[in-house]
Parts: sequence; structure tokens; C-alpha cells
Amino acid sequence: MGLEDACVHCGFCLEACPTYVVTRSEIHSPRGRITSVRLGISSEGIETCMFCRRCELACPSGVEYGKLIHNVREESPVKKALNVVMERPQLAYRFFKSSEGLNSPVVRRIHELIPRMEAPLEYREESPEIILFPGCLMSVAFRRTVNNALLFIKSRGYRVEILNGCCGLSHYSEGDKVRSNALIQQLRERFKGRRVVSLSSNCSAHMREMGLNVEDFSEFALSELRDEKRKLTITIHDPCHANLMGITKSTRKVVERLGINVVEMDEPSFECGAGGGYFIYHPEIADRVMDVKAEKVKRSGQKLVLSTNPACSLALAFKGFRPLHLADILEGIEDLNPS
Amino acid sequence: MRLFKVMNIHDELASIVGEKWVITGKETRLYSYDGFTAVEGDPSMVVLPGNEEEAIRVVRLLLERQVKFVMRGTGTSLSGATVPLGGEVVVGMARLNRVYSQSGLEIEVGPGIANAMVTKNAPPHLFYAPDPSSYMVSSIGGNISHDSGGVHVVKYGPTVNSVVSVRVILAGGQVEDVEYGPFLSSLPIFVGAEGTLGGILRARLRLFPKPATRKSIFATFDSVRDAGRAVVDIFRTGVIPSALEMMDRNTIRVVERSRYRANAPDVEALLLIELDGSEEAVSEQENLVSRVIKEDNGERIYPDDGGTKLWNARKGAFPAMGVVAPAYLTLDCNVPREALPDVLAGVAEIGRRKGVLIANVFHAGDGNLHPLIPYFPDKAESLKLALETSAEIMKFALRMGGVPSGEHGIGIEKLKYMDMYYNKEELQVLRRIKSVFDPGNLLNPCKLLGGCRPRDEVTRWMWEWD
Ligand SMILES: Cc1cc2nc3c(=O)[nH]c(=O)nc-3n(C[C@H](O)[C@H](O)[C@H](O)COP(=O)(O)OP(=O)(O)OC[C@H]3O[C@@H](n4cnc5c(N)ncnc54)[C@H](O)[C@@H]3O)c2cc1C
Ligand code: SF4
Ligand code: SF4
Repeated sequence: MGLEDACVHCGFCLEACPTYVVTRSEIHSPRGRITSVRLGISSEGIETCMFCRRCELACPSGVEYGKLIHNVREESPVKKALNVVMERPQLAYRFFKSSEGLNSPVVRRIHELIPRMEAPLEYREESPEIILFPGCLMSVAFRRTVNNALLFIKSRGYRVEILNGCCGLSHYSEGDKVRSNALIQQLRERFKGRRVVSLSSNCSAHMREMGLNVEDFSEFALSELRDEKRKLTITIHDPCHANLMGITKSTRKVVERLGINVVEMDEPSFECGAGGGYFIYHPEIADRVMDVKAEKVKRSGQKLVLSTNPACSLALAFKGFRPLHLADILEGIEDLNPS
Repeated sequence: MRLFKVMNIHDELASIVGEKWVITGKETRLYSYDGFTAVEGDPSMVVLPGNEEEAIRVVRLLLERQVKFVMRGTGTSLSGATVPLGGEVVVGMARLNRVYSQSGLEIEVGPGIANAMVTKNAPPHLFYAPDPSSYMVSSIGGNISHDSGGVHVVKYGPTVNSVVSVRVILAGGQVEDVEYGPFLSSLPIFVGAEGTLGGILRARLRLFPKPATRKSIFATFDSVRDAGRAVVDIFRTGVIPSALEMMDRNTIRVVERSRYRANAPDVEALLLIELDGSEEAVSEQENLVSRVIKEDNGERIYPDDGGTKLWNARKGAFPAMGVVAPAYLTLDCNVPREALPDVLAGVAEIGRRKGVLIANVFHAGDGNLHPLIPYFPDKAESLKLALETSAEIMKFALRMGGVPSGEHGIGIEKLKYMDMYYNKEELQVLRRIKSVFDPGNLLNPCKLLGGCRPRDEVTRWMWEWD
């Protein structure tokens, strides 16, 4: 029996799926995608899935949707090229700089969502006790957050090394079996016997699912928190995979311990709209999902949005909100200017 | 000929809704069945209008060209009411999901809106009462067309009690607003019509004030018969619970293997009871209910989380069957409450005789049974056995004073029981009504009243007696 055969076609996953919510078409729904696999027909929907896996949380029959779509997807050359670049954040940064002003829709779209890139922060102490793993996008798009995380970990008395690399979640979601496996294998080697703190919560979730032993930054923070408070009012976005793996629970615990005032948004784990590299390839659906998300955030009345995953933060910033990582709240608070 | 007719209108449909909202080719198969998966239809085309005006133009065009079509909401029907058996065009209404207005105790919505979104868009002190387990996704248009119920039917009634008016498009292309009224009101006829009399374009729904308190009570029983008796006795005390559900041992075991695991005790029967109203009323009812539970040899249990998980397990019990088999039949014969203990015993006996696992999870308070019969769709004998078993249960339930469907509809699944339940004259009256509304038989043919020939083995098993 294939994974698709566990689906009883009940449709319970439909309204959980961002691409269904904005299209209301069976083609762009989890049930439709699974059915197309089962019937062996090619359907546009296989490509338009954002791989947020919210459908898995909604499914009463336990359909392993993530695995299923990973197995059937084939990566296009453009996606492959971009993923290869992201594997090495230094390279990504240089590519980004040199591509400014290039007149390709893909490049333009990237620059639209990522207004600024910085060279990844390099840092290494002798015999480090902790590896800080920012994740590819975080390292180039949110250097300041990486710095804040570094400061926080160091303030707890640890020697740190930053490891700039890629967990391969994008590769995995786009169906690149070989490369996503290879990346995990590489990380397994490099993480061996070390304590690893991962800063992008969806990467934490992916690495954990792939059997790597990593701590999400929120979990690290929770164990190292002192009796400290932050006077702040925010709303919280729960990144999809981190939510699926229950990691967002520790983020919320840290927030609670810090005494931060939270005004919840509607469906905090509703997809941000970026979907890894999705916003680049399916701008129309991505934009509409971002609109729906923005509506939900807006109704909370808050501008400051806690988001522990870089792609989500970019999407939120694109919509005019001010995304914050937990590390920014812990170390970068003076910049926040709570009003 | 049919194909030619349909190809011709493709461009015209596309000019109404936009090219990308007309689905052709292989992808139409994604609309070839709904929550009832035993029979796959063959839609010739799928159209997804984006608003009421587009929907009207689409329907008028189809009518003008004499093209048969099926309206579809979310496609969660359990009786196959959206399955296009003869190459019909599917008109998907899911995009018509607007809230038009809300005032007082009423809300006006498009037919594609999900049930759950109605309460979400209502003022915080009001709620939309009919709540089929599929409420997170199933559409108001579908709910109306199946007169769907849910756990709160026992107190608030099925969908028909919460519809104030509907706007329909009729087979002549006219658009009418029909309201409830004392004289020959035509509103109720569209409730439960399964899309065979007209298309629902919008609906004005009734909202109820949220009760001051709600209290859940759970009780276990060592025999299904005792549990059935407790249901009857609760009503005897004068209490009308806002929900009264039963799960039998098979169901409990299934949900405990699914993601709805609730640490439910492994017992013969579990009653899930909800009382609502003012504080005093609820506490008085609780005393009465507790006494009945004791007298009927039951035992109250007190889950740590107040019972949220048990209620979720109840709501997810159907699809949780996925852990047993990838498909299942869901019967929903309604029987008089008093007959419950005997009917349940009889159903268990049929299961034993046929060697089929039957899981019972149902609205005990209104006598609405839901025997679930799992089967393996890739094995024809397995489906045949499931269909035979359901036929036996149906015959038995009808003998005990039941009706063929309490809330899931007739669709294509229960057609042969209509012939059993109604006599020839009654059926003739129903068919005459249908032909007055839809003389060309263009709207959702074959459903509800049948009239089509079996097209394969499975439809023959479903529609004909041996
Ligand atoms: C897991 C599961 C649990 C369920 N639990 C319950 C339950 O507790 N109680 C219950 O009553 N039902 C239940 N159902 C059955 C189903 O969800 C209901 O019948 C629901 O009302 C169908 O809504 P839909 O939007 O999916 O309609 P569809 O399946 O799309 O259509 C159903 C019927 O309505 C017609 N229709 C839809 N929209 C329109 C329109 N705009 N105009 C005219 N006709 C239209 C269709 O032609 C068809 O005949 C359950 C189903 C599943 C899969
Ligand atoms: S992964 Fe996300 S986008 Fe893809 S089908 Fe599931 S819910 Fe929809
Ligand atoms: S994936 Fe799960 S929730 Fe979605 S239709 Fe299939 S069984 Fe139902």
C-alpha cells in the first residue's frame, strides 16, 4: 500500500491548507494532490503545494503527506540551481550582490522579498562547546539576529562556533532526494558529539525529523533563562514545521517566562506565504496567502510579530510588519523601541 | 454528442469565470467522487464560479444548452451525492464563501462558506447550531442540501431548523428568494434536496445565543444495551441534553489507534453527554442524568482535560477508520429512540454473522445510527460484503421503524432503500415534484430518486436487490 492509500477522502484537511484557502480548488488541496497521486494523473497541484504540512495536523487518518509529496516531486533545474547556491551562504551572499539589477523575474522576485543581504557572520572560538547553526537564509538575511543569538549564548558562558550551512529542507520539499540526504549526512558528520543550537525553527524541525540531534534556540533559551523580564507587547506567528514538531511550545514558554504581553492572531500557524522558496516560483498563490496571513496578523492590532523562522519573517516584513526573533528579544531589545 | 456539446461551451464558460477556473482533461477526476469513495464518476468538465453573478451565468448557460450538471460544495457527502455518473459538468460552489450581512439573530452567507466559518463570523455571543462532524470544512450549501445534522441536533434540530431563507436558481434559470412562511412555504423542499431541484446561491441562517454554561458528562457501560437504555431514560426524566452521543468498543479501539487518541477506557459503550443552559438548570439536569447512569449500570468518568479529547475523538471517529481500512461505508438510519437497545443488539448480530467489523458511533439522542463498515476498495469482494452487510442493517432498521437516512442523504448510495421505505404512490409523488422543478432532468441526475440504470457491478450491487 502506498502512503496515498491511507487517505479516506474525507476532506478534513481542506481548510487547513493555505493553497486551498486561497483557491478553493480541489487541484490545489491536499486531498486533490493525494488523489492525483493515487490515480496516477499529472496535476498542477503537485507543484503548487507549499509544503507547510498543515494538512498532516488536520488529517484524522494519519496520512504522511510530507513523505508522500517528497517522493513524487521532481525538482526543476532552476530550483536545483538556487538550492545549490543556498547550500553555501557565502556564495549566496555574493550571488545576491552580483545579481542586483539583473532583469530576470526570478531575481527580481528574490530582491523584492529580501531587500537586504549581508555576508554571513563568521565566528569561532577555540574548542567550542556549542555549534550555532543559523540556517542558510537566516545567515544572509538576518545577520543581526545571528549576532544576537551568539551574544545570548556567550552571555551564558559557552564557547561558540557558528556553522553556516543548509539543512536541506528546501531540497527535501522539492523532491531532491539525493541532495537532501547528502546534506543531512554532512551535518551528521559535523554535528557528531557536539551540542548544536539551531536558530531557524523550521530547520530545527526538519533536522530533528531526519534524525539529527539539535536543540532549537527556543529550547536552549528556555533552559538558560534567568529571572528576567521584557516589557513588550507582541503577537506570535508559529512557523509551520516547528509547529508540527511541537517546537513552538517552547518559544511560547520563553515568552511567558519573560512576562511578554501576547495578543494572539487568528490561526498562528497559518502559513506565512513564503513557503521556503515558494514565493519565487508561484508568486500569484504566494501573494494571496501572504494577504490572508496579513489579515490575520492585522486583526491582532500588533506590528511586532515574533517569528523564529527567516522565510516567515521575510514574508511578514514584506507585508509591513516588524518580525522579531526570540534572539532579538533576548539580546537586541534596545533596538525595538516599544511604543 | 455529449462530449461535443460540452467542448462547445468550454470557451463560453471560460469567458464567464476565467480560463483557470474551468478544469478539463484528467484533472477533472479530482472531482469524480466525494466522501463516498466506492464509485468514481466521470465529470466532463469542472467549473468554479467566483461569485454569485458568475454562478448564475454559468448555470443559465448550462441550462440553455441542456447540459446536465452537479452542484458541489466541499465534496464531503457520505452518500455520493456529488458523483457525476453520466459525464455531468461539476459546478463547484466553494468559491462563493462570502458573508453578506449579519444582524440580529441572522447571518447571510454564500453557499461555499465552511460551516465553522459561520460561527466565526457571528458576534461572540451567538453561534450557528447545526454542527456535522465535518463542520470545519463542509459547506453551507452542502449542509442545506443534505439537511445535515450533528451532535447538537437533539436540542437545536438539524439544518432545516436553522435556515431562514435561501436564494435559489431554478431549472428555468430564474433566481428566487424563498423564505419560511405559514402558507405553502417552498423553503423546506430545498433543504435535503441534494441539488436535484435547484442551485443554492446564498442562505440566511439563524443564530442562537450561546448558552451561559455547558457541561460535559461521560459514562461507561459494560453493555451496549444498558447504554441504549440510559439514553431512553435520560429523556424520560425530562432532560433534553444539548448533545448525546455513543461510541461502542470497536469505535473506541479505532480512535485510540488514530491521532484522536483520547485514552478512552476500553469498554462496551461510552456515552458522551452535553448539557447546556443556565448554571442552575445545568446542575439540576446533571443530578438527574447521573442518577439515570447509575440506575442503568453505568459509571461516570472524569477525564483530566474536561473531555475535550473525547469530544474530538467522537468528531474524528469516521475518518479515523482510515487506520483500519482506506474506505468505509457509513449508514445513518434513524430509528425511534426506544428501539435503540434492540437495534444495536441486532446490528452487532449482523456483524457477527457476516464476519465484518462494524463500528458504531452515533447521535444516540436522536436515534441516528452510524454503523461504519470498513472495506478495501481494491478488493471487489470486500466492497460487496460491506454493501451486503449494510443492506441487512438497513432492512433490519427499517423493520424496527427507522428511516433510510437521518442526515447523510440518499445520494447514489441508498437508492434501493427508498423503494423499501416508500410505497409506489409515494415515490410517484416525489418524482412528479422533481419533474415539475426540473422537467429536463438536468440537475444532479440519478441522485435521491434514482431513475438511472446501473453502469457497472458496484452500482448494480448498490441499486438492485439480488
Ligand atoms: C468524516 C465525515 C464526517 C461527517 N459527519 C457528518 C455529521 O456528523 N452529520 C452530517 O449530517 N453529515 C456528516 N458528514 C456528511 C457531509 O459532511 C455532509 O453531508 C455535508 O453537509 C456535505 O457538505 P459538502 O459541502 O461537502 O457538500 P457536497 O458533498 O459537496 O454536496 C452534498 C450535496 O449537496 C449538493 N450541493 C452542494 N452545494 C450545493 C449548492 N450550492 N446548491 C445546490 N446543491 C448543492 C450536492 O449536489 C450534493 O447533492 C460527514 C462527512 C464526513 C466525510
Ligand atoms: S503541505 Fe501545506 S500546501 Fe501542501 S497540501 Fe499540505 S497544507 Fe496544503
Ligand atoms: S489527507 Fe487525511 S484529512 Fe485529507 S482527505 Fe485524506 S484522509 Fe481526509
